[in-house]
Amino acid sequence: MPHEWGTAASAAAPLVALSGITKRYGGVQACQDIDITVAAGEVHALLGENGAGKSTLMRILSGDVTDYAGRIEINGAPRRFSGPADAQAAGIAMIPQELDLVPALSVAENVFLGRELRRARCLDRGAMAAQTRELLTRIGVRLEPGRPVEQLRTGEQQLVVIAKALSLNARVLIMDEPTSALSSSEVDLLFEVTRELRRDGVGVVYISHRMDEISRIADRATVLRNGRVAATFDPRTMTTAQVVEAMVGRPVQQVFSAPGSTAGEELLRVTDLTVHPRHDRPGRRDPDGISVTVRAGEIVGLAGLLGSGRTELLETLYGVGSPGTSSGRIMLGDREIAPRSARQALRRGLAFVPEDRRVAGLVLFHSVLANIVVASLAAVGRFGLVSGRRERRAAQDTASQLGIKAAAITQSVGNLSGGNQQKVVLGRMLRTRPRVLLLDEPTRGVDIGAKAEIYQLLGALAREGLGVLLASSELPELIGVCDRVVVLRHGRSVAEFDTATAGEADLLAAAMGEQPANDAACAPGGVPQPAGAPQPGGMP
Amino acid sequence: MTDTATRPAEHDPVTARPRRSPLAQLARFQSVLGLVVVFAGAIAYSPTRDGEIIFLSGENLTNIIRTMSEIGIIAVGMTLVILVGGIDLSVGSVLSLGAVGSAVLLVDDHMSVLPAVLLVLLIGLVFGALQGAASTVLGIQAFIVTLAGLQIARGLARIWSGGQAVPIAYGTGPGEAPVAFSLLGERTFNGIVPIPALIFIVIAGTAMLFLRVSAFSRHVYAIGGNEKAARLSGVPVTRVKITVFAVCGLLAALAGIVHAGQLNQGSPNDAIGYELDVIAAVVIGGTALSGGRGTVLGTVAGALLLGVLNNILALNSVDPNVQLVIKGLVIVAAAAVARFAPRT
Repeated sequence: MPHEWGTAASAAAPLVALSGITKRYGGVQACQDIDITVAAGEVHALLGENGAGKSTLMRILSGDVTDYAGRIEINGAPRRFSGPADAQAAGIAMIPQELDLVPALSVAENVFLGRELRRARCLDRGAMAAQTRELLTRIGVRLEPGRPVEQLRTGEQQLVVIAKALSLNARVLIMDEPTSALSSSEVDLLFEVTRELRRDGVGVVYISHRMDEISRIADRATVLRNGRVAATFDPRTMTTAQVVEAMVGRPVQQVFSAPGSTAGEELLRVTDLTVHPRHDRPGRRDPDGISVTVRAGEIVGLAGLLGSGRTELLETLYGVGSPGTSSGRIMLGDREIAPRSARQALRRGLAFVPEDRRVAGLVLFHSVLANIVVASLAAVGRFGLVSGRRERRAAQDTASQLGIKAAAITQSVGNLSGGNQQKVVLGRMLRTRPRVLLLDEPTRGVDIGAKAEIYQLLGALAREGLGVLLASSELPELIGVCDRVVVLRHGRSVAEFDTATAGEADLLAAAMGEQPANDAACAPGGVPQPAGAPQPGGMP
Repeated sequence: MTDTATRPAEHDPVTARPRRSPLAQLARFQSVLGLVVVFAGAIAYSPTRDGEIIFLSGENLTNIIRTMSEIGIIAVGMTLVILVGGIDLSVGSVLSLGAVGSAVLLVDDHMSVLPAVLLVLLIGLVFGALQGAASTVLGIQAFIVTLAGLQIARGLARIWSGGQAVPIAYGTGPGEAPVAFSLLGERTFNGIVPIPALIFIVIAGTAMLFLRVSAFSRHVYAIGGNEKAARLSGVPVTRVKITVFAVCGLLAALAGIVHAGQLNQGSPNDAIGYELDVIAAVVIGGTALSGGRGTVLGTVAGALLLGVLNNILALNSVDPNVQLVIKGLVIVAAAAVARFAPRT
């Protein structure tokens, strides 16, 4: 990477200085007089609830939004970008949450999309592959440059996007929740890369909801609220309580609600579940000996690294896993089930909230109403007809019960914040009156306020007798929300912990396979763990 | 996905109201509006006879609906297919198969009207259902399946008819069809409303009502909007898609019956390229080819718009080749307007 922007000449001016940035969308003040700087070699974390103005601010910096008031200076020189390409040429690269890759193209083709290397007017595939491999090696990733991106998992795809940004000689990297799809080892890797970039004098804007990551990687943290800068912290000394208070504007007692510990009858018992898929699909980890139980009133967590088979287990239980044969038993109540479609599973009393709500959860351009009632139409009509009045009332009930904030129930769901979208998916499933709720990353891309509301809701539902099986890559979430956590590794359940006695380090160690001899056993209750394992800590 | 990504992702959803520009408001009713515009243009450019505007004569207006009724009937079925994100290219051939079937069953096989009509409708239904099954169960794209269906149905029509148009004469003797079938060429309500137009109106009205109140239609929209999400929500995706293709096949066969009744023959070489007119009517009606968004009302307006356009161009004796160019431009204009339509 060239470093012609130097260090000595422009040492006085920050790499990027935004001042007085103001932007309105109709009646909504997205940004109001925001001042923010990023120095060369600085990782500047940006926090705020959805709607606080983070995305708008970053879209202004990356040239996506051009009609704003205020000033952008790059190395002390005022700039006004005419579009994303202009900003990119100035060294500003955005790594968006929604990865902009072409699925059918290879890793190398994606990295060089639109600026393919040529030799004698022909594509120089060899050179592109070689340079891509070099970039990937630099961020410590072993990926074949010729592999189609669609065969990669989300986490791997994200690393490709990062490699692509690096290949653009970025001076400023904007990372929008980069770790939301990464396993903890991949997060470590990303942070190593980030530290390397920092040494190279690259400035990083790091948007995240995860407090522990920010304290690990960031040099400064700025909190936005309602389009303004609410506070700036030193990540080494800031506390979660301070940050949350700055984000929501008032003190918040507790993010996690206390688990309801009055477990009742057994609702779901999975014994030694193994799936033999008809086709081998790369990157998929089908259940290979999983045992887990969920009792009424209990929230059971599923922990494991990326590729440990959390999602695949939930999909198998819901009847939408890999086609093929299976062994082992799934008991729902006192009845053995083998659901072969979502429809069957729903009828039996299982409901599932998928990992990616935009891809698998919602019809984004349909209304909140349509999205809420689609799974339970029989309940708002009869003889195959739907009563407009009853479906409106049903959707309204769900919206108010879950605190879905929308201008109107007829508003299209794509315009809602991530947290509200997630509540719509959750509400749709709750309307089917499930006995057991299967949740896959239920708070991914959800701001901390909505997170707390979802946790409280889950707690309340559990107290009413619902069983919840919750897969998550966020250890604080598993410890804070669940009564018990089952750890998966390579499609196998390898340990079980009581969250009253176990901590994040225990889960992490079991997930990574660092446990002593008893790790193969599916030990109930807290397994004593060797002390001294690094606590990734942060959120209480 | 892309249109939501480009709008303000971060705003307070409590205070934000869906804003609609006046243009977007108009675009909401773009197909009806387009119909009004074309209608007004037709009046302005209509030739006159004895000071009377020919275009506005009752005779001419009912003619427009009659000539559009076959396209319109199929377009209702096509709207459903496109709403689930599919396409049916076979409808013109199935129409021809239905027309040939009607003629052969009535004339050569001496069937009475009701069983003949029911049998032809059943053939269309099964043909459509098979296409739906091939596309869903085998996982082949609907475009390809129905492209094959287009050939197959045309071939079947030619085999069944011996490659010749089968004329329908009415009477009671051998080789004559029951007189009741000639009703399709007649008019009702004091000889004003052509029977085919009545059938079209009834079909369209039923479909509109059905899309408003049925659970099935919610499933149709959900599948077209996001098939994966629909499946995970317990929508019986395969069953709904097969049903929708079956309905489209049935309506194409019905249009074939109407066609035979109007022309008093069943020809295996009729309705070539009809599928494109049908798709044009649906698209002008504002239904998204990507699925999940659209209305039957729009499709009806789209079909009538095409009918009015055809009619006024013919009244003015415009060169048929020029007619094609103008119709093409109208489709592009309609699609361009649809881009401004609000995504609600």
